[in-house]
Amino acid sequence: MNFSLYVPRQTWIHGLDGRTKFLSAVGLSLMALGFSHPLYLSGVLGLVLMGMMASGVQANIRKMWVLTALLFCYSVALWPFFVKGKTPIPWLGVLGVTQEGVIVGLAMGMRLLILIWVGVWLLSTMTIESLSVTLQQLGLPGRVGFAFSLAFRWVAILLGAGVGVVHAQRSRGLDVETGGIVSRIRKYLPLVVPLMGHALRQTNLLAMALESKGFHPLAERQVLSPARLRLSDYLVIGTIGCLVGVVWWLRRQGLGVLEIHF
Amino acid sequence: MAGFSSWFRLPRRFHPEMAQVFSMWKPHRWLAELQNVWADTRSIVIIAQIAAIYAAILIPFKAGVPIIPGFVELRPANAIPIVASLLFGPPAAWGAAIGNVIGDCFGTLGPASFFGFWGNFFFGYVPYRLWGRMGWLSSGTSPVVGSFRQGLEYALICVVASATCAGIIGLGVEWLGLLPFAVLAPAIFLNNIVMGIFLGPPLLKFLYPRVKRWGLGFVEIQSVAHERMPGGSGGLNPSLSVPAGHPDGGERESHLPLVECSGLSFQYAGGSVPVLKDVTFSIYPGEVVLLMGRSGTGKSTVSYACNGIVPHLVPGRLSGVVRIAGRPTVNDPVWLQAGRVGMVFQDFDAQLVATTVEGEIRHPLEYRPLSQVGVDLLGSIQRVLRRVGLEVSLDRDPITLSGGQRQRLVLASVLAQSPSVLVLDEPGSDLDPQGSSRLRDVVLALREEGMAVLWTAQHHDEMAYADRIVVLDDGRMAWTGKPEELLRQPRMMRDLGLRPLPLTECFEGIGVDPLPISVEEAWVRADRMQVVLDPPPSVMNDEVRLGKPYSPTSEQGPPIIQMAQVCFDYENHPVFGNLCLDVGSGEFLAVVGANGSGKSTLSRLLNGLLLPMAGRVLIDGLNTRETPINTLATHVGLVFQNPDHQIFAETVWEEVAFSARNIGIGESEIDDRVRDALAAVGMSYEQYRDLDPFSLRKGERQRIAVASVLATRPGVLIFDEPTTGLDVVETRRMLEMIRRLNQAGHTVVMITHSMRLVAEYATRCVLMNAGCIVGDGHPREVFSNPSLLASAALDVPDVSRFSQRWGVTLLSIDEVRASFSPNGMCPESK
Repeated sequence: MNFSLYVPRQTWIHGLDGRTKFLSAVGLSLMALGFSHPLYLSGVLGLVLMGMMASGVQANIRKMWVLTALLFCYSVALWPFFVKGKTPIPWLGVLGVTQEGVIVGLAMGMRLLILIWVGVWLLSTMTIESLSVTLQQLGLPGRVGFAFSLAFRWVAILLGAGVGVVHAQRSRGLDVETGGIVSRIRKYLPLVVPLMGHALRQTNLLAMALESKGFHPLAERQVLSPARLRLSDYLVIGTIGCLVGVVWWLRRQGLGVLEIHF
Repeated sequence: MAGFSSWFRLPRRFHPEMAQVFSMWKPHRWLAELQNVWADTRSIVIIAQIAAIYAAILIPFKAGVPIIPGFVELRPANAIPIVASLLFGPPAAWGAAIGNVIGDCFGTLGPASFFGFWGNFFFGYVPYRLWGRMGWLSSGTSPVVGSFRQGLEYALICVVASATCAGIIGLGVEWLGLLPFAVLAPAIFLNNIVMGIFLGPPLLKFLYPRVKRWGLGFVEIQSVAHERMPGGSGGLNPSLSVPAGHPDGGERESHLPLVECSGLSFQYAGGSVPVLKDVTFSIYPGEVVLLMGRSGTGKSTVSYACNGIVPHLVPGRLSGVVRIAGRPTVNDPVWLQAGRVGMVFQDFDAQLVATTVEGEIRHPLEYRPLSQVGVDLLGSIQRVLRRVGLEVSLDRDPITLSGGQRQRLVLASVLAQSPSVLVLDEPGSDLDPQGSSRLRDVVLALREEGMAVLWTAQHHDEMAYADRIVVLDDGRMAWTGKPEELLRQPRMMRDLGLRPLPLTECFEGIGVDPLPISVEEAWVRADRMQVVLDPPPSVMNDEVRLGKPYSPTSEQGPPIIQMAQVCFDYENHPVFGNLCLDVGSGEFLAVVGANGSGKSTLSRLLNGLLLPMAGRVLIDGLNTRETPINTLATHVGLVFQNPDHQIFAETVWEEVAFSARNIGIGESEIDDRVRDALAAVGMSYEQYRDLDPFSLRKGERQRIAVASVLATRPGVLIFDEPTTGLDVVETRRMLEMIRRLNQAGHTVVMITHSMRLVAEYATRCVLMNAGCIVGDGHPREVFSNPSLLASAALDVPDVSRFSQRWGVTLLSIDEVRASFSPNGMCPESK
């Protein structure tokens, strides 16, 4: 069972160094956080979409459209109730909904989309191992990075075991779909206990297996692909850096920013 | 200030408790504690496991009650950080935090993940920090909620932990401008608190005693970690150190052994008797030594001693020494020995650490000096993959490989460190014949390269390829010598708990010396003795002896299982195109085929876990598409390969009663059903009913799983690879039990790739290949077509192959012995 979003492609974006991709994702997120006006945010959104198209990973957006559409709708629908404005909307005025609130809702919905799609773009263009190595290159302690990639590996194994557990208990007549809420929650015990038991009784074995392969938290670990940043990496980092600078300069000038009163 | 001064208005008697609470405010110690968990392998494993469990339960399990649909729903996973925190302490905090990020990696990774990380960190840390430290309210006992006071303490901790988590995430997400705090924070709080309150206490009740028993509590792990630290009171302390017999490194003479096990004795910490007693043997370069013996006789302990796992990671009392290339294994920690001794575990999946094939090989190289790895990293990775005969894409996720391929990948990752000794712990137990054969080829190639190989095994499959065999019995060296010497002594093999070659047993006691150990040898012996096989009619009349396979024209009545034109596929990957199969009542049907041929899918279609996309499956006349699964459970029971996927209850009684309760059996009848089910699997009701099923051996757990299925009294029993991981004795016990159940009237469908079991037990054999039934009939009929079996990557058992020279296909030792002619050859009774 593979839940990774990574799409193996031979695009120039895939060929960039992991640090470049990660810093680009941070930069795009900072741009989204710098603006709060839908018009300006749509520019950032366009940039993200262009990045996804150039990487050939737009299929992942299609895969996740339900989740992203729901989140966008929540943001658009909820913010107007919390933002004060001067121009009430005729039909919703009694609820305190104003035009300014709706615009803020739209902007925040777009910001949410950008942040999610930037994450999807990053995970679509690099494997979990690459992400772990990149984070270590950027200062994350190696042991934390290793635990992260190890956990990711085991998620797939546990999901496979989880299917086995669900099948085993269903074939013994367990039905988690019926009953009241408390009864339904309790019915998860026969699913969660074997899964946790299965994982935990392997703890000692896993520790032995790791040390047998040379791992130890205090052992010196070298990153074997000390990839140097190439010209394309510098160009991308430089461009994104400049764009972030422009966004925050515009913000200081009062452009792309809505006045939000709660 | 107002809040602080209000403490002074509390009743006077509360003051000491409050003082106690504040005296525990030692953030520098907490930080040190949180940091120290990263210095121990087991703690890191627990962190990764909790993260994986959290994410794995987060994704598929939903209680079906959305708080904010599609965004915040009641999920059982939200009880995990609290439960893990009370079980494991600080590692749970890191595990919950990382687990949440992993959950985000499936689609919502972004700046909000930072707040998710810290929110879940505190969600997994606060319960540990507060339990037992809440002054007068704390019960001072284990976190298993058994009293009102404990319940109150637990509930308050849930509130504080949930509020902390919800507050951090809610504030962070609002600060990012994504969702209002007033919407998100209450939703998260409600989700956490509901799951924590309703699911947490029962989870703790089930898991706490087991975690304690396995020594995984924070205190236990930290004390062991402290022992192992340089300067600690155990582990690598100088008292364990043994002088090296030879200088480490440098050129070694080829006549000197690479592995020297000398007078090795070991008693597990907490064990009452030594598991190894004075074991001595050596392995030379280019030699494969097979270590054999029944279950629990110390084979794995010996293999663990070869790279220092015993005694560094498995504490106990050790005497004697194991030297690798002259250097005692007790002198170095396990991880430093990886470059000398490569080890592949029986559960090889435990050694997979990466999500790509390349990452799997790269990982061990990252712990080698750069001078040893070389500059051409990709070339090194490809070379080691070629060495184990694995030609797959470097980007491929290891989990998508077959079992045999995964095992060879683990072997490649071990070989990447260039060890001179290879230890394989029961490597063939979970592989199909094809996978075993590929592994054998790789090991033989490594032998040619001069590697010393220690291979532990229970079955005789690998004996012909070993240079020498060492047999352990009750922890002692019971026999050592050449494989053929042992194979020619079937009586001694039985005494040592090993299963002799069936073909050799055929010739036992009829004056043949030496006994044959291969089909070719058996033919030569038969020729010399002018023996022909002339089976009497009673042997060959299968319909009289075994029963007639179901056919629509027979008089057996309607079939109990009917599969008509069944189509099924997994995510557009077709498994069955047009499958038809009828099984008569009372049959013992074996379904055989290579891995991936559709055997397991077939078993799940039979009990309604999977539904056909076209066609129909009828069980006892009930259409699986139209019948609820708990109704089907009273007609068909499926026993899974791994009993641990279903065992959860605190006692054997509860475990066996579970399925009976699910189908609505009244409490008054349940005890009778449990008693009957345990009796049917040969377990004493009085002896087992109160035992914790988790504490039983695998063979016993497997029988508990069968008993649990039997409690619904189904007419059809399906066994999916029932003997995987069982030793010779337990395999025999399991199969005899299945035969008894069949004789008692149950229709049995057994999924297996052991042709020997099919030959000995089944009355009908269905051969599957790529989702199609390519052979169906008595095992004798199916086995009489070797090319058909070969097309499904299966071999004819030796006994059948031997007999086919005379134009008959015999299935068992008894059949061969009854067919020996001329008359007058009267085999001794064994």
